[in-house]
Amino acid sequence: MMVLVEGREFCWREGLTVADLLEELGDPYPYAVVRINDTVISGPDFATAAVPRGSEVFLIPLIAGG
Amino acid sequence: MTDLKVKEIARLAYARPAIKRGYANQTLYVNLSDSKISIKPVSEKMKETFVGGKGFDLWLLWNAVNKDTKWNSPENALCIACGPLGGTTIYPGSGKSIVTSISPTTGSVMDSNVGGFFGPYLKFSGFDAFEVQGKTGAPTVIFIDGINQQVQILEVTGLPQGAHEVTEVLTNHFGQGKPRNISVVSTGPGAKHSLIGLLNFSWYDPKRSRPRLKQAGRGGLGTVFADKGLKAIVARWESVTLALNDPADEEALKKVAKLHSQEILEQDPKQNQMSMVGTAHLVTIMNDYDLLPTHNFRYGQHPQAPEVGMEVYRPLFDKGFDGCWMGCSLACSHGVKDFAPTTGPHAGRKVFVDGPEYETIAGCGSNHGIFDPLHIIEMNFYCDNYGVDSISVGTSIAFAMECFEMGLINKTHTGGMDLSFGNKASALEILHQMARGEGFGKVVGQGVRKMKEIFSKEYGADRAVMEDIGMEAKGLEFSEYMPKESLAQQGGYGLALKGPQHDEAWLIFLDMVHNFLPTFEQKAEALHWFPLWRTWFGLCGLCKLPWNDVVPADNKQTKEPAKVIQHVDWYTQYFNAVTGKSLTPVDLIFMSEKVYNFQRLLCLKLGFGRREHDAIPYRAMGPVTVEEYESRADRYDKQLKEVHAVDIGGMGTAEKVKTLRKLREQKYEQLKDAVYERRGWSKDGIPTLDTVRRLGIDLPEVLDVLKAHGVA
Repeated sequence: MMVLVEGREFCWREGLTVADLLEELGDPYPYAVVRINDTVISGPDFATAAVPRGSEVFLIPLIAGG
Repeated sequence: MTDLKVKEIARLAYARPAIKRGYANQTLYVNLSDSKISIKPVSEKMKETFVGGKGFDLWLLWNAVNKDTKWNSPENALCIACGPLGGTTIYPGSGKSIVTSISPTTGSVMDSNVGGFFGPYLKFSGFDAFEVQGKTGAPTVIFIDGINQQVQILEVTGLPQGAHEVTEVLTNHFGQGKPRNISVVSTGPGAKHSLIGLLNFSWYDPKRSRPRLKQAGRGGLGTVFADKGLKAIVARWESVTLALNDPADEEALKKVAKLHSQEILEQDPKQNQMSMVGTAHLVTIMNDYDLLPTHNFRYGQHPQAPEVGMEVYRPLFDKGFDGCWMGCSLACSHGVKDFAPTTGPHAGRKVFVDGPEYETIAGCGSNHGIFDPLHIIEMNFYCDNYGVDSISVGTSIAFAMECFEMGLINKTHTGGMDLSFGNKASALEILHQMARGEGFGKVVGQGVRKMKEIFSKEYGADRAVMEDIGMEAKGLEFSEYMPKESLAQQGGYGLALKGPQHDEAWLIFLDMVHNFLPTFEQKAEALHWFPLWRTWFGLCGLCKLPWNDVVPADNKQTKEPAKVIQHVDWYTQYFNAVTGKSLTPVDLIFMSEKVYNFQRLLCLKLGFGRREHDAIPYRAMGPVTVEEYESRADRYDKQLKEVHAVDIGGMGTAEKVKTLRKLREQKYEQLKDAVYERRGWSKDGIPTLDTVRRLGIDLPEVLDVLKAHGVA
């Protein structure tokens, strides 16, 4: 049971949240937004947003405004 | 079929110069008062000092106006320029035009950048910039025909009113079976009847067989255009090749262009998906971070925001290539096909709508308390068709709605309309009235600053309250980001030369979300570097989106990710490859610094550009009302206690509002001091003599302006 994170496989588990995933990736970059498939998740929701099994996760590196 | 009657008023035949290293080395001048057409040379000194694009515009504008010139004075010039890199077909985002003039809403210098084919076609026709002065009572079209090497002033009767129809008719008329050879600059009826008119620039979309529109929206440039008697400016050019711009090193250009284009193709689908949804991706992100203006910037969040978010608009956008200039791999100009407006002159017809982008969604949606995606599309369509700026329309209607809800105005003033937040029918009716120059819509079309005056003088409304909640600065309506919790973004808006538009500095995430700018010095440094870097795009004829809306995969590992230094390096290579120069990134910033300071000095020449003009309303800094404070009481209480060491025990909310206000206003003034110092300006916000000399813009006429304002 996996999810794809930036094209790489990551072990999925029941209840995995975006915050869990970022912590377990060990990436120190302060991501403000991630996208799960076509759904955007922002920082304030990282702790509660579940990562669905089989989903593709994109770590958005920069929010630059208009 | 429209029956056009075309009468030639004046004609200038010219020999088109070959482009050399990105420059045509001449500009085109038209005076509508005496039907004069002439060509002015571009000197090496002009290129060295002002680079091109906005720099050329500002130099032409400086020479056209005097200290007493108003927006509707005949001598006010409307200038349009591309830039030395503009018209490159292989580098993403290389087709921008920059428009400048004196603004009807600010009385000072306005600049607005826009996509479409006009700027490159103008240059390839032989002109780095176009300048029009004077006025005419006849409906006038200026036709710049680069193929036949002639410029004509034409009196054209029988043109339709709406921008889409005018553009289509003129594209067919002048295109002679080749519509892609035409770009039309036009406005619409709303520009004539309001102060917030915009200019539509066209690009031809061969897949959809129609001209598409991009907007130079800010500051009423369309109103200046209409006041001059212009119906359109048309440029005609034929096929565009890479060699046409005469790059000094074509191989180097191809190499760096390929790197940037390839990166966009690879990274954009993983990042912001601009090529699929444009800037609509921002809606829910801004909402999540309490930054999406709702109810006239009272709040930054609303539970219905996802109803107008990216996921809703994605399926509504018509699929296909949406690049507003040839070869752009970001191609973010999305639109909605076969949309049927429910109101107005196009009700029930199927139309193509260019947009909506984030600003229109927030301005004409959430900021009105409206979360209906189809209503926003209809507002978008009519703003373009009528030739009015959807940001100023959005912020102005939001202000009127809040005044209505606060009881500052009522139905006797609005012609019976209920202007409560969320009233879609009233928002659309105001827009239609604005275009017709009738009723309360005409009042709203004067913009927020004028509305404050009208409401207080004619309706007896409380001026002080309106000064707090009217979201304008320098006379320009705020664009659609909530700056309350980011001091740096308050500076990004308040210290922007033309007024509160985010194209100078967008620092909200750096400052508020990531807290990367904790000190005044760091904020000041950001408010120095970012405006200068963003200015550079406008000098060269470029779009800023490929710089930082998609970034290299390893950008996060760089020292300052927000600057996207890899791209800065690529743009430096791009500039050198076209112009043959050997500049560094630091040199590019220096180029911008000259023009940026020159623009501030042009503001000063016109009686603006001092500290007092950098003021912003308190709604942009913090909670104006008890209700606003209490909606985020935890946040504000914590700041008072922990950041400012205020003992809030026993304080009522009104007292807390007052206390917080005093502290935040002090901080904004401290920020001004820090930024002015970093920019080399006096405490009054005027570039010092040392700064002017260091930048090499110590021209006699500049020194005269400084002397007239006590700087000697």
